[in-house]
Amino acid sequence: MSIAKRVQQWATFARTWHIYDCTWQNPFESAQLVKTHLMGLHKPIYHPMNDCGDHVVVINTKEIALPGDEWVKRVYFHHTGYPGGASWTLAWQLHEKDPTMVMKKAVYNSMRGNLQRRYTMQRLHLFADDQVPEEILTNVTNQIRTPRTVPQRLDHIDKETLENFPAIVDYPKDYVLR
Amino acid sequence: MASLLKAATSSLRSTFLQARSIATSPPLLIKEIHEKLENNVLVYEGVNVVSPRAEKMLKPACTSKFCPECTLGLDIKHTDVLILSQYVRSDGCMLPRRITGLCHRQQKKMGALVTMAQKAGLMPNLNPSWSKNDPKKRFGWRKFNKYFIESTIKY
Repeated sequence: MSIAKRVQQWATFARTWHIYDCTWQNPFESAQLVKTHLMGLHKPIYHPMNDCGDHVVVINTKEIALPGDEWVKRVYFHHTGYPGGASWTLAWQLHEKDPTMVMKKAVYNSMRGNLQRRYTMQRLHLFADDQVPEEILTNVTNQIRTPRTVPQRLDHIDKETLENFPAIVDYPKDYVLR
Repeated sequence: MASLLKAATSSLRSTFLQARSIATSPPLLIKEIHEKLENNVLVYEGVNVVSPRAEKMLKPACTSKFCPECTLGLDIKHTDVLILSQYVRSDGCMLPRRITGLCHRQQKKMGALVTMAQKAGLMPNLNPSWSKNDPKKRFGWRKFNKYFIESTIKY
């Protein structure tokens, strides 16, 4: 095997590390993206019996966004196994308890329940904020593009942009400013 | 018959209201109300000002009837806070249609978009005085990030 082929072989089967910023992202849209990279579905060599999945570091999971009132409509069910042990937790209550759990469950539920799922989940590294340990961050070589753009708050827009933005509605002549 | 009645009442009105020619203020100027405390006397003063938007008006928007969607074909999202903030007062309430000059449908749609932006916490500085101003300090589930889908607006 030539050197070039050996490098190609090494590069093909090496585990890459990706980073994904969850700020203002829908966890269930993100789960599809993260799942693809975790399982290695984006690789041409993918095969269910071929262990070619990558690592994904997911940061800022406490900043995820849900559409409309889904924070109170989405319910997580748990049963302890004892009689009367059923409990229903709203998404926002779960997110308040553990800011990584909604994202984790979204990725877990996006995959089929087979023997590989637990091992694939071990390659997922979730962080509530952007404080990632140095030894994890040094591995990262790729950033996954986010599907939603982060909206800008009006009070965070700089003064120059605010002043130079064209106006499309003017006050009438007899208007009292307030 | 109706026109006769109208003519009669108008002439009556003109004769009665002839004496009222005093204008309380110079007509048709934008005003700002200033509040001053002088020697324990609170003075409210209406000061004539130039509209702050006068010189940066977009040229097609200078006509009285201008809808961003009907006239320019813009697709406005609830995240376009620089546009939406022009349609609200400083306390975040929507300006009426006689001021915004939008058509009926666009006025309703713009109101819905403003509500979405406010619920998503994108315009926290345009709020009533009692507001906490920080979307992260809201109660319960409202403190978490949420976004809206514009296709859910009915009109």
